Amino acid sequence: MAKSFEGRIEQVDGNRWRIPRDSQAGMRVDGMIYSSGRLIGDVIDGGGPAQVANVATLPGIVGASLAMPDVHWGYGFCIGGVAATDVEADGVVSPGGVGYDINCGVRLMRTDLDAADLRKRTKALIDQLFRDVPVGVGVGGPHRFAGDEMRRLLAEGVGYLVEKGLAREADREVTESGGCLPGADPGAVSDEALRRGAGQCGSLGAGNHFIEVQRVEKVYDPVAAEVFGLAEGQVTVMIHTGSRGLGHQVCGDSLKALRSAPGRYGIELPDRQLVCAPVASPEGQRYLSAMRAAANFAWCNRQLLMNQVRKTLARFFGQSQSSLGLRQVYDVAHNVAKIETHVVGGTPRELCVHRKGATRAFAPGHRDLPERYRPTGQPVLIPGDMGTASYVLVGTEAAMRQTFGSACHGAGRVLSRKAAIRTAHGRRIDKELAARGIVARARGRTGLAEEQPDAYKDVDAVVECVHSAGLARKVARMRPLGVIKG
Amino acid sequence: MVAGCEMARHCETFEHTADVGLAARADTLAELMAALAEGLTDVICERSGVRPVERRTVRVKAEDVEALAVDFLSEVLLAFDADHFLAAEISVSDAAETSLAAELTGETYDRARHELLNEVKAVTYHMLKVAREGDEWAATVVLDL
Repeated sequence: MAKSFEGRIEQVDGNRWRIPRDSQAGMRVDGMIYSSGRLIGDVIDGGGPAQVANVATLPGIVGASLAMPDVHWGYGFCIGGVAATDVEADGVVSPGGVGYDINCGVRLMRTDLDAADLRKRTKALIDQLFRDVPVGVGVGGPHRFAGDEMRRLLAEGVGYLVEKGLAREADREVTESGGCLPGADPGAVSDEALRRGAGQCGSLGAGNHFIEVQRVEKVYDPVAAEVFGLAEGQVTVMIHTGSRGLGHQVCGDSLKALRSAPGRYGIELPDRQLVCAPVASPEGQRYLSAMRAAANFAWCNRQLLMNQVRKTLARFFGQSQSSLGLRQVYDVAHNVAKIETHVVGGTPRELCVHRKGATRAFAPGHRDLPERYRPTGQPVLIPGDMGTASYVLVGTEAAMRQTFGSACHGAGRVLSRKAAIRTAHGRRIDKELAARGIVARARGRTGLAEEQPDAYKDVDAVVECVHSAGLARKVARMRPLGVIKG
Repeated sequence: MVAGCEMARHCETFEHTADVGLAARADTLAELMAALAEGLTDVICERSGVRPVERRTVRVKAEDVEALAVDFLSEVLLAFDADHFLAAEISVSDAAETSLAAELTGETYDRARHELLNEVKAVTYHMLKVAREGDEWAATVVLDL
C-alpha cells in the first residue's frame, strides 16, 4: 500500500540520504534519512520518504525532517521520524508525530543470573512469566487506580508509584524524564480515555509488545557496560509496551479536536493525519497536557510490569530480588513529543521534539541524565525481532548536533501483518524459534506469525548504521532466550 | 435498515504495512457505515460466536462524511476497549453525511466463549475515503493495530 517515492533523493555519504527542500512544494527544510547501502532500497519502496517530505512542510520545523535507519511507513509521520519545531517561531505540535501509542517504550532490567545456569529452566521460567503477567487483547492488570488515584498517577507518573510503595526511587532515577513529564493535566484526558485505561495499567497488551528474557552475548564498550551493570553471559529482561487504550484514546481524541485547527491557523497540510496546532496555542497546549498524562501512564505501566517480573523471578529462583541483582538499567520513551533546548544555528532554542519510533540518545554530560549515566551518556535501548537480537547503545555528541539527540528505536517492519501470516502459513514459528534455542509463548493464534523474525528489517544492519553514523555507540548485544507476547 | 428489504453491503480487509484496512461497498450510506462497523468487529473478534442479547445505541455527529466514519468506528472500538462490549449485529438508521444513529446488538466479552483476534489501537485518517460512486457508496478505512 505504501507508494514508492518519486521525488528527488540524493546520497550525502555512506549513512545519509537527503531529500532537498525544493523537491516538493511547501517543504521548509530538507529531509534527511539515515540509512545504508543495504537498507536504502527497502526504505525508498516503503513509503517513508514521501512522509519525511510531508513533515518538512510543518510550520516552525528546524534543521531537517529526519528519519532513522529503521524508518518505515506510519500514520502521517513515518515510524523512525524525528521533527523539531521552534516554539517561539509558531512551531507546531502534531499528535501524528507521536503516534497512537503514546510513550510506547522499552525498559531493561539487569540481573546477577548467569545464562548458563538458566539454560535447562528457561522454558519453565517463560511459562511462569506467561502465567503471571497480564498479556493479550482484552486482558487487564491487577491494579485499579480509581478517581483521585488515577489523576495523581497521570499527573505525577512513577513518582506517585514510589509514594505508594509500587516503585523504588532507584527505578525512577533511571527512567527517562524521571518517569514523569511535567505539565501533564489529567483534566485534559477524556472520560473515554480514562475508561479504556481503567484496568489496563500493569498489562502488556498485544501486537508487537513483549517481555523478553535475554542473554548478554557481546559487550562492545566495557566501560559503558560496566556503568550500565551489563556483562557477557548475564541474563537481562526487556519490557516493550506503552500507554495501552488510554494513550490510544488520547491520540484519537486529540486528532478529532485538532481537525479544525489547521484551518483556523492558516496551516496547509498535505495529509489529514498531520493535523497540528502551534505549540503555544490553546489547542497545542491541550494536546501536550493530555499527551504528557498518557506518557506518565505508560511509565507506570512498564513499572508495574517490571514489579511483576521481579516477583516472578524471586519466587522462581527462591531468592530475594536484591540477591538476584534485579536492577533497572534504564527506561526509554520512543513515541513522544518533548520540549527540549537544542542549539540551532549557534543559538540555544526551545524546541518541541517529536520522536515517533525514535529514541532519545543524549550525550555524556547532559543535565537531564541521572548522575550515574552522566559520564557515559544515556543508555539507548533497541529491541530487535524475537529471533535475532536486541541492543544497548549509548548517546553521543554527534546525535546532539545532527538529530536533536535521537537514534533509532528497533528493527522496523518490512512485512505487513497479513503478509507475515501468509509467509508463516503451514509453519510453526514457535518450533522454529525453539530450534534456535528461543522459547516463545503468545496468547493469540496469529501473534507469533505476525511478529516472526522475517517481518522485520535486520536489526544488526539498523544498529550498525546508527553506530557508523555516530548517532549512538554500540555497548552490548543481547540474544533472546525466551519471549512472551499478546 | 428498512424492515423486509435486504440491501447489499460488503466489507473486506486489505493489507497495510503494519496494519489492516477495511474496504466496504453498499447501496446506501447507512448500510456502508454498518458494513464498516461489522468489518471492524470482525478484526477484533470471531463475530459468529457473539450472541445478540444486549442492545446499545450510538449517535455521532461530525463535520463531514469521512470524519463521521472515523468517529462512528471509534465509538464501536470504545465500546469494546472500555466496556468489553462485542457487537454481533449492527444496524444504522438516520445516516446523513454529518450524523448517524446506530444500534449495536451483542454481549459482554466472555473469555471462555469468545475468541479475540487483534488489538485495535485506533481508527485512522490515513487513505480515508468515504464517497458515493455511481449508485453505490464506497469506503476505505485503515485501522492501527
